[in-house]
Amino acid sequence: MSAMVAIIKKEIRTHFLSPLAYVMIGLFLLIMGVIFAKFAAIYMSMKQQSMMGGGQGVNLDKIATYLYQNMAFVMCFLTPFVTMKLFAEERRQHTLELLFTAPVRGIEIVLGKFIASLMLMSFMIAISFIYVGFMVAWGTPELPLIFTTYLGLFFALSCYLSIGCLISATTESQAIAAIFTFIILLLLYLLQSIAQGMTVNWGPIEWGPTLTYISPLGHFNSFTEGLLQIKDLVYFVTFTGFMLFLTHRVVDSHRWR
Amino acid sequence: MIEVRELSKLYGDRKAVDQISFEVKRGEILGFLGQNGAGKTTTMKILTGFMAASSGTAKVAGFDVFEDQFEVKRRIGYLPEVPPVYEELLVSEYLRFVAELRGIPRAERQRKIDRVVDKCQLGEVKNRLIRNLSKGYRQRIGLGQALIHEPEVLILDEPTVGLDPRQVAEVRNLIKSMKTDHTVIFSTHILSEVAAICDRIIVIDRGKIVAQESLSALGADGATARTELVVKTASDQLLQSLKSIRGVKNVRLYSNGANRIVIESEPDDAIVAEMAKVAVSSGLTRISPVQLALEEYYLGLISGKRTEI
Repeated sequence: MSAMVAIIKKEIRTHFLSPLAYVMIGLFLLIMGVIFAKFAAIYMSMKQQSMMGGGQGVNLDKIATYLYQNMAFVMCFLTPFVTMKLFAEERRQHTLELLFTAPVRGIEIVLGKFIASLMLMSFMIAISFIYVGFMVAWGTPELPLIFTTYLGLFFALSCYLSIGCLISATTESQAIAAIFTFIILLLLYLLQSIAQGMTVNWGPIEWGPTLTYISPLGHFNSFTEGLLQIKDLVYFVTFTGFMLFLTHRVVDSHRWR
Repeated sequence: MIEVRELSKLYGDRKAVDQISFEVKRGEILGFLGQNGAGKTTTMKILTGFMAASSGTAKVAGFDVFEDQFEVKRRIGYLPEVPPVYEELLVSEYLRFVAELRGIPRAERQRKIDRVVDKCQLGEVKNRLIRNLSKGYRQRIGLGQALIHEPEVLILDEPTVGLDPRQVAEVRNLIKSMKTDHTVIFSTHILSEVAAICDRIIVIDRGKIVAQESLSALGADGATARTELVVKTASDQLLQSLKSIRGVKNVRLYSNGANRIVIESEPDDAIVAEMAKVAVSSGLTRISPVQLALEEYYLGLISGKRTEI
């Protein structure tokens, strides 16, 4: 346990020692800023219209939902920034030998790295609370809804990061780890769109709902609707757990080669 | 302290380590000698619990390296071939991380770090980035990392490779100084190193132990002089008469191209004169002292062309 804490501390330190964390957070704020500004403009014009008696009325929550769905997408390509070096860099620097000859369980190493990354990205997402502040200033957003959305973001993130961990564990090259993580996350993201276009069914399986269920985005969406469902929690926890388990297996496999 | 029984490791079909057995006693310094790829590193990795053996057992301080990994890992300090350092950290940060990783209680941490910094002479680079340090320093940081938890057993994989001569001497002295309270296994392919530090050597060739002897038995301790003779014809009669000289301990013939005879004897010039007298009739072309007895011995083992009388 103390070893895991040591790893978490070291990982967080390492994240902030490299320019990558700053670049990532900067990029996140830039992209989200642009998106938020656009939504704010739409909201303002809608508000004006409704004040003049026209339009469809203002729905701040709808706009918030769009904002956070975009954020979930942006995470897809920010995650590799954090995960690419997790294990790839240890392999390159030959430091796995240090970790694995210390009296530390393999799972502590994997969890330590995962938790540190999750903390870093959660910190990044936490900065976006400013947008909530703006929304409160402008109107009356439904705060519980925003809360569940952030919860959903957190779970989606842990799911993304666990995939990144696994891919990083399989390679020595950071570049390969980053590219593959991005491709896989993008595919998982697109899965839902693909599912929506599925009108034909092959065999006994209903592909549409199945693919939606596999995609993390489908589960995230129910959080944005304010739904806290056991099935979504189970999905995220088992998904992340399974990926981390596989990561542990991969990292530990050096012993048997 | 360390007990290895019929240990084997397969990489696919290739036998990296093949049925090796040996023991190391407490307080002993054991040199692992062998060419690159002979299986030294693999054996060490198995002992540290980093790798699992394909068959056989290894015990450190009575604990099986596979069954009781944690107990073994607590007692071993390991310096791999490439020092496992994080380039982005400061030396002091790195040592602190290792201390935390090793579960050294907070109260003792600073004291142990200071001790290692002192022992490995890292004081002047304590607050520098490891990225900017030379190979010599990295090696010493690696050594510091292996020593921080005051392990009973030290396993060092080629600790002097890549160091300049002064640093090599320092590292050797460091290893020697640990003799009193540590058991040390270290690997090398530099023979003079073995003579300088070890109590005992194990020579590994293609995964097998080909020799296992104490240094005094090898005559590398100065109690035995070696003389090389090159003759035109090496008859049995010559070898016998050489052997019968008083003070001669051993006579070996190497016949790869020229007939080279290596004679071990007590260090006495009169004996050498006697040898020359005997060998002249067989067409003596050269007589010279052998400086590195170990090298002779080692090459003889590796090439496997030795006839002993």
